[in-house]
Amino acid sequence: MRKKTLTWLSALLVLAVALSACGNAAPAESTVPEVEASASSDELSGTISISGAFALYPMMTVWADEFSKLHPGVQFDVQGGGAGKGMTDTIAGAVDIGMISRAIKPEEESQGIFWVSVTKDAVFPIISSENPYAEQMLAKGISQEVFAGMYITGEITTWGQVIGDPSDTTPINIFTRSDASGAAEQWAKFGGGAAQEDLLGIGVNGEPSMVDTVIKDPLGIGFGNLNSIFDLSGGGLVPGIIIPPIDINNDGQANSDEIYTVKEDAFGAVANGTYPSPPARFENLATLGKPEGLTLIFIEWILTDGQQYLEEAGFVPLTPEQQAESLAKLK
Amino acid sequence: MSEIELTQVKVEGRLSRPSTPSRITADRTARRAFFVITLFPILLILIITVALFVRAMPILSTYSLTDLLFGEIWRPNNGQFGFRPFILGTLWVTAVGIFLAVPPCLLASIYLAEYAHARTRAIAKPILDLLAAIPPVVYGVWGLLAIVPFVDDVLAPLFDRWLGSTIPIFSVTQPTGFGILAGGIVLAVMIAPLIISVIFEVFATVPNDLRHASLALGTTQWQTIRTVVLPQVTPGIIAAIVLGASRALGETIAVLMVVGNVPKVPTSIFDTAYPLPALIANNYGEMMSIPLYDAALLGAALVLLVVIIIFNILSTLVLQRFLRRK
Repeated sequence: MRKKTLTWLSALLVLAVALSACGNAAPAESTVPEVEASASSDELSGTISISGAFALYPMMTVWADEFSKLHPGVQFDVQGGGAGKGMTDTIAGAVDIGMISRAIKPEEESQGIFWVSVTKDAVFPIISSENPYAEQMLAKGISQEVFAGMYITGEITTWGQVIGDPSDTTPINIFTRSDASGAAEQWAKFGGGAAQEDLLGIGVNGEPSMVDTVIKDPLGIGFGNLNSIFDLSGGGLVPGIIIPPIDINNDGQANSDEIYTVKEDAFGAVANGTYPSPPARFENLATLGKPEGLTLIFIEWILTDGQQYLEEAGFVPLTPEQQAESLAKLK
Repeated sequence: MSEIELTQVKVEGRLSRPSTPSRITADRTARRAFFVITLFPILLILIITVALFVRAMPILSTYSLTDLLFGEIWRPNNGQFGFRPFILGTLWVTAVGIFLAVPPCLLASIYLAEYAHARTRAIAKPILDLLAAIPPVVYGVWGLLAIVPFVDDVLAPLFDRWLGSTIPIFSVTQPTGFGILAGGIVLAVMIAPLIISVIFEVFATVPNDLRHASLALGTTQWQTIRTVVLPQVTPGIIAAIVLGASRALGETIAVLMVVGNVPKVPTSIFDTAYPLPALIANNYGEMMSIPLYDAALLGAALVLLVVIIIFNILSTLVLQRFLRRK
């Protein structure tokens, strides 16, 4: 008898839950048009789906938030997954915009990919602040050839070779990224290589691990993106690391515009082109064919009003000329 | 019959028990359904293998199998796809992990199964099982923060002083703690709970009468374990090791965080290595736009699957021979 009552009760419960779920779902569906009606001053509505590079992901979420504040009718679906995923999704038409943190390859363009640069980013070499040779490096800088010898050809393996003292055979612990990343690709290009696979060194998984590993290893050298090596709120470098200056003009001296200890200097050097490219790079958005409609409006907004949010997130805004160039490309 | 069933039958309009033929049919149908469900995992393995094979076809048809399996250079952009460093890297890391894990696990499970008080067992077992529940990525971080520096500061100098100059396999080849040894240590800790719990269960299957008979003859407890219990459970121990090794072969994230990921054939436990799962995890989804790269990665997955299948077949054969000998 009791069993029967229980059965009935549970059936009633299930019914109640199901009904209440329907009850919730129904108004939710009907509120969508209402939102559009209330936003009649702003006729923009729709969904923009985006996937791609992890480097751009945090920036894109900020952009999406700000844009939604201006246009409440616009929904965003932003996913990471890496530049490769962004590219394949865009080519397949699975997303509207792909975030690509590297140069677009010709074989991708031939599949109908259109792209514009929306921000600049840069990869910097990093060493531990405990590095015993830091003084000499900050005075002399490291030339591009030496970086190439460390990372690409493997000719340079000791710190003595770096500072010009052949008697010192202390080995350099060279670190690279094991996971496929745009930063590593830029770094390889800076050393004269073509792709990430050309880089020598111990592979560390992910940018945070790279920074931690270099902090802990006084004899190590690695590289990192702007937004991971500077403390964005404080403006200084992440405690424990130093940027060994790249001797850009090859005069055997580290000049004042080659040494970066605060965010502003590094950002300035990247923006005005003092800091070489590579390792500086443009971050790109890719679409399948020229963007139209809502996607076009969003990308244009990123290139104009959206630029103001970049610095806070550790990216370098485009110069007015670069902005104009990207906007002209969209026309 | 309960009240509910009675009422249900009454509703149908007649009060009778289901006839016998229908019960037999039901039984037969159930048997067939169970068979199909059992067949499903077996089919799944086949489907996965075939799918990987099809997706890896572009690379398999471009290069000869010997080039792929024995090639030493991995430069996809130059069209060089040598899997040898990855295959050997996988085997090295797994071997070191198993070598480090098995002896202590065996002793620990003997203690838990044969010597420990019921209360000790009740406390130790859940804690060991908890080790198995820790996510691999946590092990990876622990490896990065604790094991890599430990290898670098403690083990490397030790081996360098005592063994390095004489035995090449123990020579310290590079000055960071990243490498096969760090990967092996992390793996050993990860697979330990699995191996311990399997061996423990196997020990529990040995009837107590055997132990009592042996002890009655005046043997010590250790003699009983060695001469009576261990011969009974050897196949189970082998099975436990195989389970652990299979788990180790496929472990991805925890290993790739500490192993160094350099595609070179290792010669020493202090070398860096690049296991197959790490290769797939590091590059899958990132390189799809390069022709053949995608196929090469799926080829790597196929190679990994084949390695694990071969490994399992071999161990099954060993087990069977052992059982037959008995």
